This record gives sequence, C-alpha cells and structure tokens, in this order.
Amino acid sequence: MTRWVATVDGQVTPVDVDGRDGRYRIVVGDQALEVDARRTADGQYSLLVDGVSHVADVAPADRGARVDVDGSTYLVEVEEHTRHLIRTRGAAGTRGGSQTITAPLPGKVTHVAVAPGDRVERGDPLVVIEAMKMENEFKASAAGTVHEVRVQPGQSVNAGDVLLVIG
Amino acid sequence: MRRITKVLIANRGEIAVRVIRACREQGIATVAVFSEADRESLHVMLADEAQPIGPAPSADSYLAIDHILTAAKTAGADAVHPGYGFLAENADFAEACGAAGLTFIGPPPAAIRAMGDKTAARRIARDLGVPMVPGSVEALASDAAARAAARDIGYPVMVKAAHGGGGKGMRLVHREEELEGALRMARGEAGAAFGDAALYLERAIVEPRHIEVQILADAHGHVVHLGERECSIQRRHQKLVEESPSPFVDPDMRRRMGEAACCIAQAAGYVNAGTLEFLVDAERRFYFLEMNTRLQVEHPITEMVTGIDLVREQLRIAAGEPLGYAQEDIGWRGAAIECRINAENPFAGWLPSPGTITGLRPAGGPWVRDDSGAYAGWTIPRFYDTLIAKLIVWGPDRAAALARMTRALGEYRVAGVRTTIPLLRRLIAHEEFRAGRLSTALLERLMPELTAAESTRQTLAIAAAVLAEHERGADILPPPPAGAWRQATQSAWRPQ
Repeated sequence: MTRWVATVDGQVTPVDVDGRDGRYRIVVGDQALEVDARRTADGQYSLLVDGVSHVADVAPADRGARVDVDGSTYLVEVEEHTRHLIRTRGAAGTRGGSQTITAPLPGKVTHVAVAPGDRVERGDPLVVIEAMKMENEFKASAAGTVHEVRVQPGQSVNAGDVLLVIG
Repeated sequence: MRRITKVLIANRGEIAVRVIRACREQGIATVAVFSEADRESLHVMLADEAQPIGPAPSADSYLAIDHILTAAKTAGADAVHPGYGFLAENADFAEACGAAGLTFIGPPPAAIRAMGDKTAARRIARDLGVPMVPGSVEALASDAAARAAARDIGYPVMVKAAHGGGGKGMRLVHREEELEGALRMARGEAGAAFGDAALYLERAIVEPRHIEVQILADAHGHVVHLGERECSIQRRHQKLVEESPSPFVDPDMRRRMGEAACCIAQAAGYVNAGTLEFLVDAERRFYFLEMNTRLQVEHPITEMVTGIDLVREQLRIAAGEPLGYAQEDIGWRGAAIECRINAENPFAGWLPSPGTITGLRPAGGPWVRDDSGAYAGWTIPRFYDTLIAKLIVWGPDRAAALARMTRALGEYRVAGVRTTIPLLRRLIAHEEFRAGRLSTALLERLMPELTAAESTRQTLAIAAAVLAEHERGADILPPPPAGAWRQATQSAWRPQ
C-alpha cells in the first residue's frame, strides 16, 4: 500500500492506494473505492467504479494535476504522505485536537462573535468577514474552547491569516 | 429633446461593457471610469475614453460622486449611465448630474427617492390598492421596535434594508432569539453597501416565487410593461438563474401584474426603465415587494423574448424621445434563460474566489449571448462583486432553451478561479428545475443533493490524480525525464 495526501482548494485529504495492474482499492478520506482503471490515452483514465463508467482527464500542473471529471475541473496537489508530514511539521494547528481558523480569502473582519475562554459548539458562528460585497460567516467545525482571538472588527486580513484558535 | 453624444458610464464590469455596446451601436461616444483596481478591466479597454476616479475601495471611487462628476467634466460627456448597483439608485447623484448639466440616464431624482425608499414605495402601492406582503411601512427605530413589529406581523419575518437591493442587508428570521443577530448583520451589510442602515420587516412567505415586471416609461406619460422575469433561483437572496417568461405565469396573470406595475410607476412619476418586484405564492397571488429604479442585472432575458434593446430605450427616453409604441405592440416570443457565472465556490458556502482567470473559453453558437466583463489573464479584483459573466440563451420554448443552456454551460470554461458553472449545470439538469417547480427556497433545498454529486466527482478526481502518480512510480523505470512536477515527487513514490 502507498500513502498519499491530496489537496484541493486548501482541503487536505489522505489517500491510500493498494493493488496493481489496473485493479485498485483507493481510500480517499473515509471513502473506499474499488476501481478498475485503464489508461486509454496519454492522460486519459477510464475508471469503472461499482459498474459506473467515468473518464478522467489528468494533465500535469503545478505540484499535482489538473483533472477533468465528467466536465468539472479540479486542481489536485498530490504529495507522498511522509513528505507531507515532514513539510507541514510544526505548522499551526497541530496542537492536540485544536482547530486553527484561518481566513480563506482577503477581506475585512466585520464581526467577532467569541472571546477567549468561550465554549463553542459545532456550527456556532465565530467570525464574519466581508469580502467581495458579501458578509461571509465562519462557523465552528467542532466543539471546543476558544484559546485565542487574533483579530478584531474593522481589521483587514489576508488569505491564510490566523483568525482564531479553538481547542 | 436633449442630444446625447457622449456617455460616461459610472460603473464597471459586465454592465459597463453592456452599456458601451449599446452606445456604440447608436453612434454615441463612451467614457469609462476606473478605480486603481480596474485599470486592466475590460470596460476600460472597450470604451472610447477612460478616466481614473480613485483608489480601489468603492467608497473612494465608484461611490464618490464628485470624482465621477469631475471625470465627466474632464471628458466632456453630456450624459451619465449609472448601470446597476453603486450610485444607480442614489437620488443625490442623479440630482448632482442634473445640476452639472449632465443628462442622467435613469429616472428623475424624485422618482428614485419615492421608490428607492422601500417604505415610501410600500405606501404608494398601498394607496393604489396593489396587494403587498404584510409588514412594517416605517423604518425600524430600534431593536425593541423590531421585536414588537415582528410579534405583530408574526414569524417567520424577513429583515430588509430600506434602501437595499441585491439581497444585501436581508435576513430571514424564524424565531425571536435570532432577530437581534439578524438585525446586526443586516445593518452592517446595509450600511456598507448603501450608506444607510435603515431596516424594515415583512412577513416571510414560505417558499414563494420571486417574479418581477419590466417597465419602460417615457417623459410624455407613456408607460408599457415588457412582461415578467422569474427570478426564484437565489442563494442568500441573490439571484443566480432567471428566465422569461415565468413557467408559472399565464396571460391573464401577466396582464394583471403588468397593469399593477405600470400603475405604480405612473403614480411615482417614473421615467426610464424600471422593475417592479413581486412575491407570488402557491395560489398565484402576487404581492408587490419593491421597485428597482434602474436597469436590472437580468435585463437581457427580457430583451431576448421581446426583441427590445433596453439600454437603447434608456438612451432614447433620456434624450426625451417618446416610446413610439403602445402596450399592444409589445409581443413575446419563445423563452430565455440567464445563468450568472460568479467567481464563487458554491460547494464551500458560496465563498468568493477572487484571483486570476488563467483560461477562458466562453460558450457560443446560435442564440447564445455572453455578457461578460472578463478575459483570459484578467485578475478579478477582490473589492467588488463576484459576477464575472452572464450566460443568456434563447429557444422557441422553455424545453429548447433548457437544452441550449445545458449545451452552453457544457462549453463554458473558466480556469484559475472557482465558479458557479458546475453547480449551474447540475441545477439546470435537475428534474425540479426542469419541471418549473421553482421557489426562492428551491436552491437551498437542493444544495445537499447537488453538493453530494460534486463530492463524488471530486473524490474521483483525487483518485485519478493519485493514480497517475502511483502508476508512474510502478510502471516507468528508469525515472522519467526531469520536469519540475515529476522531480518534486520522484524520490517519494518508489514501489514498495
């Protein structure tokens, strides 16, 4: 078995691949797929999954591939699992079970709904960022306690800036 | 009659491009304006002339009345088209244009004031006996007043901006506990977007349709309506797909809605193009919502079914020409649909996706119209809205228009940013949409289903990308020729 990490839109998913010669068991996140794969032409994959036929067009791109599946295009970064661990070691958010909430896009913080020490439940509103004329509300993806609030209303943020740390 | 020879377009993006096109077809010169973030935007390149109006934030540029008037003076423009959004429904701006000797291509300031203040508009409609959604006629003085009004009206209620539009400053509230938060969010959005945080309340009609009527009024007292647009497909109260005619409206209902629309426009002393929005319930009862005193984003679908160029009519009306046709001269042919292509990721909470468009191949072919402000290599500024392009198709009937839209969305490629295209393709294919069972709640209801299809596709894409790496490791020995992409992973994936 080989272990990989795929990143799409900043979302990191572990991927395990087992098998050879066109017959694979591929586990993407928590989803296991039995795949009959044939490379039909350069970059074209015919994938049979549970009897359903898909064609994936795989073209090399920056740090991974641009994949077109049934008309939708995805930029997938692919990295070997160990390499990914080494590269991201020590990055924010690795403390035991804590979530680091980062700004996914540049904008202006218009509201902060929590303070350090607050207990939050999954789905509770945390912070509102105004970007491209819309107020985008960010919610807790899991329950926890707010450790740090690093932004305040009126502040401009860049993509990737840490907004909150929840443990 | 005022002669219009050079129009300054006080806007940006696709609508500025749209107005430039109409002017050019009339032999009228055009002046674009641009903020520092828009120097390389399409409207600047397509206009005959262009004037800088300040820094990127719209408050310092597209909303800065004095900057725009200075630009008009410098360029020697004799008329101003406001587009939609920004200053389009700002009566002070219309007035300032008049005072500066510029023809404002839109309604008179008094009509903007009367209809732009949604609470005043409701009073006009009430006095005419046009049915309305129950709600507060006055702006809310405080949170306490809002609580009392909401109890009176009965939950669920809709919080709305008195000077709003485009879904900003609007929130659906199911329970009193949610009211305070909704008021805060709505006030914030309304203040930022319209410079006025006044709010009012309406009873929320469950799963209504949003249907609007286009009108044209000249300065000589003639008013006609151009039929309706069905705009029920919305996310966060912002329209995503529009069509004309509405699959729900029959000729009698069209006539009654049209008459109500013309009646309100006349009472407000309205001149130029305008739109009256209605909510329609399951029993085909319609309720006046508000009037938009400007050109709408979705105006092209009306153009497609009536054959009338609305921007050309705006220019003629502003020049003082009479309409030259009556209601019985207006005919409708076939069906038109518009899909909004926004730089957003619909599968991640509609998160805006600013960035550089690395590849662009718009749809084409018969009866396909691409009203776009984008080009390949252009970086979408993060300061303005997410609309990149409007894809509009026409067909002899709704089924043909749907087939054409399916085809056109399949052709349309935007690379480099996330767009609404994948979502639109699935939505147009969905049986509920195809059956015309539309409501403003439909898209939100279908989202889990549409997102699940997306997540399957994404899983397959990930599997395929990883497989390509995996097989490269297993099959190709010795290692492939050096290339940045291959080298990056080379050592890691030796077969085990």
